[in-house]
Amino acid sequence: MHIDTPKKLEQWRRDCRKRQDSLKKKILVCLGPGCLANGSDKILDEFKKVLKDKKAKDVSLEAVKKTGCHGFCAQGPMVVIEPGGIFYAKVKKSNVAEIIEKTLEKGEIIDKLLYSDPDNGHKYTDYKEIPFYRHQVRISLRNCGQIDPDNIEDYIARGGYAGLAKVLTDLRPKEVIETIKKSGLRGRGGGGFPTGRKWESCAQIEAPIRYVICNGDEGDPGAFMDRCIMEGDPHSVLEGMIICAYAVGSREGYIYVREEYPLAVINLQKAIETAREYGFLGEKILGSDLSFDIRISRGGGAFVCGESSALMKSVAGEVGEPRAKYIRSVQKGLHDQPTVLNNVETFATVPVIIDKGADWFVSIGTPKSTGTKAFSLAGKIRNTGLIEIPMGMTLREIIYNIGGGIPDGREFKAVQTGGPSGGCLPADKLDLPVDFDTLTKAGSMMGSGGMIIMDDRTCPVEVARYFLEFLVHESCGKCVPCREGLLQLYKYCTKITRGEATEADLALMERLSKTIVTASLCGLGQSGPNPFLSTVQYFRDEYLAHIRDRKCPGGVCRELIQYVINDKCTGCMACLSVCPVGAISGEKKKLHVIDQDKCDACGSCHDVCTFAAIDIK
Amino acid sequence: MAHITINGKVVKAHEGEMLLAVIKRLGIDVPALCNHEAIEPTGNCRLCMVEITRPEWEGWKKNVTSCLYPVEDGLIVNTHTPELLEIRKTLLDLQLARCPNSELIQKMAEEYGVHETSYIANVEGDNCIMCYACTRICEVLGKSAISAVMRGQKKVIAPPFGEEPVDCIGCLACAQICPTDVIPYEDKDGIRTIWKKKFELVTCKNCGKTIVTRDFADYLIEQRRIPHEYFETCDDCKRLELAKKMGGLITKAAEVAV
Amino acid sequence: MNIDMNKVTEILERNPKEPGAIIAVLQDFQREFRYLPVPAMVKASELLHVPLSKVYSIATFYNAFSLTPRGEKVIRICKGTACHIKGADKILEQIEAGLKLKPGETSADMKYTVEVVNCVGACAMAPVLIVNDKYHGKVRCDQAMGKVKRG
Repeated sequence: MHIDTPKKLEQWRRDCRKRQDSLKKKILVCLGPGCLANGSDKILDEFKKVLKDKKAKDVSLEAVKKTGCHGFCAQGPMVVIEPGGIFYAKVKKSNVAEIIEKTLEKGEIIDKLLYSDPDNGHKYTDYKEIPFYRHQVRISLRNCGQIDPDNIEDYIARGGYAGLAKVLTDLRPKEVIETIKKSGLRGRGGGGFPTGRKWESCAQIEAPIRYVICNGDEGDPGAFMDRCIMEGDPHSVLEGMIICAYAVGSREGYIYVREEYPLAVINLQKAIETAREYGFLGEKILGSDLSFDIRISRGGGAFVCGESSALMKSVAGEVGEPRAKYIRSVQKGLHDQPTVLNNVETFATVPVIIDKGADWFVSIGTPKSTGTKAFSLAGKIRNTGLIEIPMGMTLREIIYNIGGGIPDGREFKAVQTGGPSGGCLPADKLDLPVDFDTLTKAGSMMGSGGMIIMDDRTCPVEVARYFLEFLVHESCGKCVPCREGLLQLYKYCTKITRGEATEADLALMERLSKTIVTASLCGLGQSGPNPFLSTVQYFRDEYLAHIRDRKCPGGVCRELIQYVINDKCTGCMACLSVCPVGAISGEKKKLHVIDQDKCDACGSCHDVCTFAAIDIK
Repeated sequence: MAHITINGKVVKAHEGEMLLAVIKRLGIDVPALCNHEAIEPTGNCRLCMVEITRPEWEGWKKNVTSCLYPVEDGLIVNTHTPELLEIRKTLLDLQLARCPNSELIQKMAEEYGVHETSYIANVEGDNCIMCYACTRICEVLGKSAISAVMRGQKKVIAPPFGEEPVDCIGCLACAQICPTDVIPYEDKDGIRTIWKKKFELVTCKNCGKTIVTRDFADYLIEQRRIPHEYFETCDDCKRLELAKKMGGLITKAAEVAV
Repeated sequence: MNIDMNKVTEILERNPKEPGAIIAVLQDFQREFRYLPVPAMVKASELLHVPLSKVYSIATFYNAFSLTPRGEKVIRICKGTACHIKGADKILEQIEAGLKLKPGETSADMKYTVEVVNCVGACAMAPVLIVNDKYHGKVRCDQAMGKVKRG
């Protein structure tokens, strides 16, 4: 089918909705990365198999839908039954028959599969009532978990390509740019540059060709928002890019997807092909004068390629080394032509802004950081998963109301945002509102949206060492301050974690950091010292404990701690068999002993002991 | 022509030329390790950073690498602020940690008061400062026989697969442009060895002195249309021949005059 | 090691013959052969007019490429931030001890390759261990070797 007028699109949308409505029940099985790893693909197959074998009342085979990430990864594999948003958590293959029989056929709720609040035992039927979802506002994630990413009709039925139709019929390119400018949308990749201004600069430059690139590199460890959008709602990214192409006058676009996301590549590729087939990509889009097509460029797995000039080099088939940006890439980007580069979440947000208007978007969030932001919650937090919140929500609300707080009765120590370019914020910063400027001012940054929560069993020095190691490995190696400077920071940080450093070393590190920040060629180096600087700012006492007392308050740094078996040991031999260096001896049902000369304090024994018989000293 | 202010002095410069060229022309001492007039600047060493501002920036300033920043009319440049001196000192200190045995780096660091590195020195390292001068000149010459391989700290300059570089013509440009003399080569018994590859040397038919490698001569004859007679004699003998011819002419002219 | 040059030609045929296609071509080689064989890279260099030195730069710059053959089972340990603070190092140590391999190494019998990856975007289920394409989440260190052998 080829849709060649906006009118036909609306007609088709009505048909799609009719077809969707004719499905009296819908079974949404989450195939996001978290649920998939817990076998949700087998649950999907089981639903299909059972429904094929037996004719269930009001339930057709088409009612079973695979969806992208639904967000509440901690409770996966999850299944949602519509209507009613009945949310079944931690579903097993063996539950499938029961769900069909009771919930789908008889409309009964299966109590044991409902999510229950760990604090008060309250059980929720409709997922929208669950605290994890209740506090969220989903714009860029609007379709994730709600649609089958391979089925364009699902996207159309939920208002897909309406934004595109609107710009093609009602708005001139300049008006599109004005709308985006007025919405206050800022780049969701981390920098927070105003999107409308970027588009405007690109459109203003005389050039034979302009490019639109979507950054799907998502290199920050601990972030997976873009992955979920690309996998779960690929058309929203395409639509945002097409609208941008119309606004800036581009015919050619690229999506740069990182190598580690094979499913994102597959789903985007399918979406591009479908979009071509229906006339949303290619020549004369929806019968207009707009012609635009998109190609996928697979990244090679280098963190530095998240940096715009490095990314463009990589798209052009070269080594991803950044260049100095005294001439901005908006002016001279891919193949030296004007280029708009935005990230996945930014593009996915654009169609909604066009559809609902800039004023609507401005009404959400804060004056300088409008709208919402997606985050991935991970680390030592109960409700790990994918969330989207209005800008300005405090860290505390995110971590406690949505995230459910810290598990295992431990205490909050720090929250890390912004990946290797960001920083760690301590407990007394929990009431800071999350927006671009506040986080930067506090010494961290918004980043692309990874939010990693750390409890009191985390060592900030060791976390800084981890990020520095990451950056030393991922630095392209071109400029001196980044290549040599970060290496030195890493070496000294390692010295601290081993209890071998002096306070003079710490002072040297702080001085060196200043030069790395000002003298590095690209953003990777310029922000590279942040994990060190923010931890030393907020957890200086822990640095000093390592240096002066040779103690690791978090109980993490191996050279500074000892694992000792106490008299709760039952002699179960679990620790003995897991010790990778053979440092534990003991017989069955007798107290075990750790040979401290052999032990390298990896903590594996501590992890497997179910009797709390291993102390960290 | 553009007018820019460098360290308080208004100077004329070409719009679009790089700031470092102007600074060098004025004889101002701004160090640079990766810059060379024969190759495109890349900004690896960061030593040539200067502070720039404009009247309309209302006091806002930024540090940029002068090798990459083009001249714009009205630019105000400072080359020796305390912050820049600290940056240069730290960068040379870091280079010294990487290459503690390089005489050039030792000397430059010394000028900034660094007698030995403040950091953890890399005792096993060679003297390569990763300025890319060699790979860039090789590319300019149209060969790209060697390149920077790996990433980050592991980055090294190497021929493909660490083997004899197939595209190398033994021109020696890489070894000669290297600021720290880290690329070894040898001319012996009519053979040049560089990057472990051996090349036949073309010698002067008059005096026997080495001119270029056979591969380089062939490359220039084929690709750059240089006549092959050019490679029969060395520069000294060419001069001598020219002098002889010129001398003959003068003698003849004198005879005519008489 | 001998490789099927027909496969090399096939991959080169289906990609654009322009220098910009080199990364895509190398990715296809990597997928086909599970490493980048030298003769394939030489062929690509000739056909796409990319100097061999630049092909080598690209092959060594990006994490996705390996210059030595990988084993039948590729075991990847995620070292993303979430995995790190949830004990990815311990998982790695179990695997290093169990297989006697360091990250980047392949066993002599070509059965196993151990690699660490920065982040696979499955942070909610940290720590993550991937055996070929199968993700294992919330792995306890005592389960790691079992998953390697089975999955």
